[in-house]
Amino acid sequence: MAEPTSFDVVIIGSGAGGAPIAHQLVLAGKNVLVLEKGPLLRTQDETADGRSDFRRDELLSTGAEKRITLDGVANRGAAYYSSHVEPDINDEPHVYRTASGDDKATIEGYTAQVVGGGTQLYGGVSYRFTERDFRLQSANAGRPLRDDPNGDVAREARDWPFTYADLEEFYVQAETLIGLNGQVAGQIKHFSKDSYQPPLRPNPISAHVEAGMDALGMTRYRTPLAVITRDHEPSGRRGPLPAAGPDTGETAKTAFVNRYGDPLGFKSSTYVALLRPILSRPNFALRPNCVVTHLECTGRTVSKVHYLDPSGTPRVAAGKVVVVACSAIESVRLLKLSAAADPAFDAAINQDGNGILGGYFLTHCFGGASALVDAPARYDKSLTLDSDWSSDHCATDEFLEANQLWAGAALYNNTSDRALPLALGRNYQSRDLDTVWDGFTGEARLTGEALVGFLGDHFGRGLSMTFMANQVPLKSNRIELHPTVKDKWGRAAAYIIKGWHPHDVAAMTTFAQVCRDVLWHGGVRKDLGAGGVYGNDDLARCANHVLGGARFGTDPRDSVLDGDCKAWGFDNLYVTDGSCMPTSGGGNPTLTIEANAFRVARQLKERI
Amino acid sequence: MPAELIALDHQYVLNFAGRCLARADGAARHDYGQYGDAGDSRSRACEGWRFPLIDSYRDAARPEIGARSNRVTFVYAHQGDARPPIAVIGTFATLFEPLPLEPVTFVGEPTAYVALSVLVPKGQVHRYKLLVDGVPVLDPVNPQRVTTADGEAWSRFFTELTTQPLVLSRRELLLLTRLTDHILPFRTTEGQRFLQYFYSGADRQAKDTQYARAYRLDQPVGVVNFIDKLLAREENHHAIDYRLCLAQIDAILSRRHPTIDVAAIPKESFIDLYGQLASGSIDGWDYASYREPQYFLKLLRRHTYTGAFSHPRHGGNVGAVAWAYLESTFRDDANASCFAWQRALEPPLGDNAAYVG
Repeated sequence: MAEPTSFDVVIIGSGAGGAPIAHQLVLAGKNVLVLEKGPLLRTQDETADGRSDFRRDELLSTGAEKRITLDGVANRGAAYYSSHVEPDINDEPHVYRTASGDDKATIEGYTAQVVGGGTQLYGGVSYRFTERDFRLQSANAGRPLRDDPNGDVAREARDWPFTYADLEEFYVQAETLIGLNGQVAGQIKHFSKDSYQPPLRPNPISAHVEAGMDALGMTRYRTPLAVITRDHEPSGRRGPLPAAGPDTGETAKTAFVNRYGDPLGFKSSTYVALLRPILSRPNFALRPNCVVTHLECTGRTVSKVHYLDPSGTPRVAAGKVVVVACSAIESVRLLKLSAAADPAFDAAINQDGNGILGGYFLTHCFGGASALVDAPARYDKSLTLDSDWSSDHCATDEFLEANQLWAGAALYNNTSDRALPLALGRNYQSRDLDTVWDGFTGEARLTGEALVGFLGDHFGRGLSMTFMANQVPLKSNRIELHPTVKDKWGRAAAYIIKGWHPHDVAAMTTFAQVCRDVLWHGGVRKDLGAGGVYGNDDLARCANHVLGGARFGTDPRDSVLDGDCKAWGFDNLYVTDGSCMPTSGGGNPTLTIEANAFRVARQLKERI
Repeated sequence: MPAELIALDHQYVLNFAGRCLARADGAARHDYGQYGDAGDSRSRACEGWRFPLIDSYRDAARPEIGARSNRVTFVYAHQGDARPPIAVIGTFATLFEPLPLEPVTFVGEPTAYVALSVLVPKGQVHRYKLLVDGVPVLDPVNPQRVTTADGEAWSRFFTELTTQPLVLSRRELLLLTRLTDHILPFRTTEGQRFLQYFYSGADRQAKDTQYARAYRLDQPVGVVNFIDKLLAREENHHAIDYRLCLAQIDAILSRRHPTIDVAAIPKESFIDLYGQLASGSIDGWDYASYREPQYFLKLLRRHTYTGAFSHPRHGGNVGAVAWAYLESTFRDDANASCFAWQRALEPPLGDNAAYVG
């Protein structure tokens, strides 16, 4: 029997924006196809020999050296080190424009190409956005803001087409179905229900952060993390051992968390939480290793999804509804490639030729502070999750008023950074994924006794604080198709053009200082440094939070999507990953992408 | 000896084939200078070094087989519409009996790929050829090739824990041992003391199962072996850097110590040379042959550190000695361990009760 090609819904991408919709519509009896560019990597309990496709191996997260061979980029010949699930830069480049106008290929800006998308590799930090994050236009009307003499912020900010209160029930749904641990008390967001599993004991190094936050009068709470600590009934997952007693779930702790898939399935990727539970249903088809090349339309209907199967053979699928959710850069690229291939699609997605598609690309203003605890204290950072403590201190109205900032930031400490020996070396003085190893290899003096000294200073002693804040939306920050650089299929590569607004720099400087203060007051002062990502060389940096570029809104002249994530110019095309966001939110975005996808899923259930 | 075939995991093959082999263009996107010929089919595959796929194997009913064997999966991608039969022949099995690769399916339909999984003991090096419609050819994506004494070219693979040198000559290995010794902490007084304790104190069984076959006194943590294997496979493009620079270093040291063998050259001489490599100014260096000695040093530093502290399956960090060194050396203020690496890792290396590696 030929494989079916017609479905109720075809979803492109299996991560935070796509999987919730697949989950809900399959349970509602709809026929769903999910196409995923990356592989299906399984946990131990899924394979014939009981071994996972993921490994606790530092050479999987950052692999062997490769070199950029692309013509027309200024960093041709540069080394790069990708993980086993990040795309190869030479095969599928992302190119960004540097401050000096050169084009460079970068590994930053990818989430992960794998079933589960970025949720396979993320650290799992799963904040709700604050109520203010949804109404940054109205919250800033008429306010004086630092380093914003022309009033750009108030002019460019947009309220979301719905409020926090509208989304709140979907936050609950996401938290319940995905499987998080955390703590409600201490957060400034209103929770109608506490769906968190209990957090594990903090790593002892986090006591410094606890002390620093307390000294500064900051209310703190345990960072919500997408790692189950108990059995998780909605996804049928058994929790980590032991299952009872004071150490319940403690074996979930490992520094193989951020940038690692979890062989045991405790980390709540959208695969183990949402897709695996529906995998055996007859109305669900998951096709990994399939690259969608373009969408074809008939009038206002996307009629065909063209994709290449694992052999590279062209195939076609059709859905009553088509959902694009392959992470912001790739989603925008897919829409633009479809427009380039078909004038009718072009006219419908770029309605009025308003240039909104690809515009208002966002990442986060992020950065923080880092230092070393003093001898003789030292901690075992290999037994950890990604973060222990958070604070909404910098997201309160009082703080933003006092500092003349437009939007707040989540603050949290990292516990898994520099925890493993290879990471300690390769991340030493590196700024991002494009510069790993540069610090260690360049410091030739670190040999023998000096290397012992380096390890002694750093091993189990590094502590850092991170802030994650909204970036001012600017139309000039854009995703385009690169005019010359192509991927291995001959399709134009994504071209990222972005910079920082002066108000972003003011915000980052302020939040970085608070992070610095936390460490200082926590007694962590050695080699204390702080900052944000606004140096000229750092334009590619984005914490792998890629957002915007196809934003939703209430006005078709000012947005690509309506409030339900449906493209204004189409009747059946939805975009549900982070590209729909008009502002990037004051916190890591995954949970909000998931909650919004559950919201859209409800609409679609009624519609189909 | 006949090879033991194991069931083919189609999803596993497609996961690698889709990423590494599937493509529309014939551009040499993955030639960093190691192939030299734009027409070389190996320059088109992304991470062609992954093929054949070498992986751990587990058999719950025969745990000892899994502990000492790798799953080796040969993959061939048909080009165009023709689907001639593909087989593999090699020293991992009998050399007279071709083993057919079987079609890999996607949604119940054949794909462009055929594949075969066999069990091969760890610590072995083998040569093989693919038979395309009975005609022997080299693996079109695997960068590893060898020429036998009779001048015949073969594709090659090696399994985990292989210690046989593949790229570096004996003399190069010796030089590299001295250089890596200088970088790593294990020739410091405390480092030496630790190694002595580690190797003499480990129980007999651990020695046998973990690192006996890789244990070499002149390579205390197996880093040189790691580099040799890296140059044979993943970073084959850097083999030329080592060849050129080690030849120059050898010549310079021979001039400085005309009557002393490399193994006996005083430590201080290596320290001096290291410092000169770092400064880029080396008396006697032929800059026309290799322009940036500092680049080589950076490479060497990255490889040395990586080899020492990565998972032992990659050929260095023998028996997890470097992790044990970190655990033993860097303690907290109550002298308690600060690196419970065993807790995360699979037995027998680690003691995690759930993770099997």
